[in-house]
Amino acid sequence: MNKKSKSMAIFSIALILIVSLTLGGCVEEENKIIVGTSADFPPFEYISEDGAFVGFDVEMVTKILEDAGYIVEFKDIAFDSLILSLENGKIDVIVAGMTITEEREEQIDFSNPYFEADQSVLKKVGGNLNLNTSHDLQNYTVGAQTGTTGASWIEENLVDNGSMNVDDFKRYETYTLAVLDLVNGNIDALVLDKPVAESHVKNQNVEIVMTIITEESYGIGVKQGNTELLEKINSGLATLKDSDEWDILILKYFE
Amino acid sequence: MHMLEVKNLHKRYGASEVLKGVSFTMDKGETKVVIGPSGTGKSTLLRCINQLHPPEKGQVFLEGVEITDPSVDINKIRQKIGFVFQDFNLFTHLNALRNVSVGLEKVLKMEKEEAEKRAMHELKHVGLGKFAERYPAELSGGQQQRVGIARALAMDPIIILFDEPTSALDPELIGEVLEVMQSLAGEVTMLVVTHEMGFARNVADEIMFMEGGCIIESGSPKQMFTSPKHKRTGEFLGKIASLYGEE
Amino acid sequence: MVSLEFDVLINALPQLLRGLENTFILTAASLLIGSIMGIFMAVGRTFGNKIVSTAIYLYEKIFRGIPLLVIFFLIYFGLSQIGINFEPFVAVVIGLGLRSAAYQAQIFRAALNSIPEGQSIAARSMGMSKVQSIRHILLPQVLRLSIPGWSNEFTIVLKDTSIAFSIGVIELMRQGRYIYVLHPEMILPILLLIALIYFVLVISINKGLSVLEKKYRMKGFDLTVDR
Repeated sequence: MNKKSKSMAIFSIALILIVSLTLGGCVEEENKIIVGTSADFPPFEYISEDGAFVGFDVEMVTKILEDAGYIVEFKDIAFDSLILSLENGKIDVIVAGMTITEEREEQIDFSNPYFEADQSVLKKVGGNLNLNTSHDLQNYTVGAQTGTTGASWIEENLVDNGSMNVDDFKRYETYTLAVLDLVNGNIDALVLDKPVAESHVKNQNVEIVMTIITEESYGIGVKQGNTELLEKINSGLATLKDSDEWDILILKYFE
Repeated sequence: MHMLEVKNLHKRYGASEVLKGVSFTMDKGETKVVIGPSGTGKSTLLRCINQLHPPEKGQVFLEGVEITDPSVDINKIRQKIGFVFQDFNLFTHLNALRNVSVGLEKVLKMEKEEAEKRAMHELKHVGLGKFAERYPAELSGGQQQRVGIARALAMDPIIILFDEPTSALDPELIGEVLEVMQSLAGEVTMLVVTHEMGFARNVADEIMFMEGGCIIESGSPKQMFTSPKHKRTGEFLGKIASLYGEE
Repeated sequence: MVSLEFDVLINALPQLLRGLENTFILTAASLLIGSIMGIFMAVGRTFGNKIVSTAIYLYEKIFRGIPLLVIFFLIYFGLSQIGINFEPFVAVVIGLGLRSAAYQAQIFRAALNSIPEGQSIAARSMGMSKVQSIRHILLPQVLRLSIPGWSNEFTIVLKDTSIAFSIGVIELMRQGRYIYVLHPEMILPILLLIALIYFVLVISINKGLSVLEKKYRMKGFDLTVDR
């Protein structure tokens, strides 16, 4: 089978060439930092109409890293893949409105907190939602974005102890889709990070009915053990928080 | 030296032995017809000769060269053995002309133009010059088989093997194929397995009667039809002849 | 209620088309890999020895049985654990390609098996080697016969590119998401627009393949099938 083994040989060589070309990749620039984010979470990170990364997190982390002498490049990745990407060296930093939690700390290192948030409960304007305490949510259909602390809160406090039927808890890839379902009446309530919820109620007929105090804070993530980078970020963050620029940033995105 | 020499061929499929020691020879230009009941190994014989189903025991010599020898390049040998199939086996994606020329181009490495010229010549030879552009699906059974014959002829083989060439044809189409075969007799060496007694009687130089994997009797048509030596031969020929309305 | 600000939709188009470009390249590259591998696998399984045949069979079973997302993750994240790093785009192409190969092998093999064995025998009988008979007699027919199934596979791969975002490749779906995050009241119209784009793409490619099929159809092939 001479001809066949010949074409197999050519094929394998071609395959090896392709693979090695891609493995080679580009020459690593020493001071380039790749920041991973999930750009569908305004006002923290999202994509403007001309395709640029914008948002509170984006500007904050760009300032911190550029001041530390780095060139910053952003990568938009599914939220659930961010930690995996960091662990595997595909990105160097995570900034994505990511809440500092014990579980996450087992996998990555967080900077000092840069933002405090609670969870908001949203309902459709004119919708049927009567809550005295947050646990009353067990009587309704509730939604949250997967992987968020809102989702974890619902799971831990309502589903796991059996007070809420697991079918009444709906998860969404993006909270925007959850809002759509809320407006359509497919869910009664949505649990969402407060700052994001607040920026959202302006343009939709949804309203915040309650705040669940979770006292969570957001942090910037780096690979476990990357203490040098972490220190630079923390010191940059402290400097930024002390400056006027911080207030300007807050005003810009949170009015 | 004989053109074809078959020596003591044995072939078995699974537990049963289909060829039990078949031997005969053929000389250039001869037409030999093999007849006999179905399942007695006639087709197998043909396929053993061109090594499609290599025999367990026995030898086949083509122009003195032993082609059953495993060290031989069987693809080269097959170029010299034409084969016409009961089911035509034309290449569905090629028109008549290309069916005939593809072997010339790809196997004999002829230039495309030359191959097609030669192919056209053979198509005309079998009376299908005007059908060169037609695809097998657009041809009748008889026409397809004639293309099959042209395809075999084009390779300029030493011998052509015919495996029941008309058995799959409607009765009215059998004639055109037999005519072509008849026109080749004497020029082309042909070994034909068939039930067509008319052809056997009129065209064959020798008829071989096979049954149970052996050649029971062989002889000239006159001899076989009028005074066969074996009872079985007479029985078979008689039955078939009366079926076809011939005596 | 959904508001219909048409200028949002119109402004969205360039952004969406940028995503479409990636979608299209991903689809084309993956299908190409899938086709080349698919043909070798179909031939290998039909004509190869027991070892080759079994290996291919296992490959097909595995890649048809694992969700695409898992394949992406294994290639992108899993392999980097042992030092093999791919750009996300390349990882998606490889993932889609390897999986498409498993399905395309089936399409090609079905086509191959539908060609009457007699034609292979006739080819061998005139002195063609096994490879020659595959190349000149079988493959031309296999390709023609596979067009409908292949057309279907194209649609599937195209739609599966929307998962590419999971490892960070920005294609049409993700571009759409950027837009409706900015204009949440317009989610439905934007999604409809994206659906329309996919639809137009699918219809045009299917039409193109249909034209190709007509052009190369073996005349009256459907008639001979029952013979």
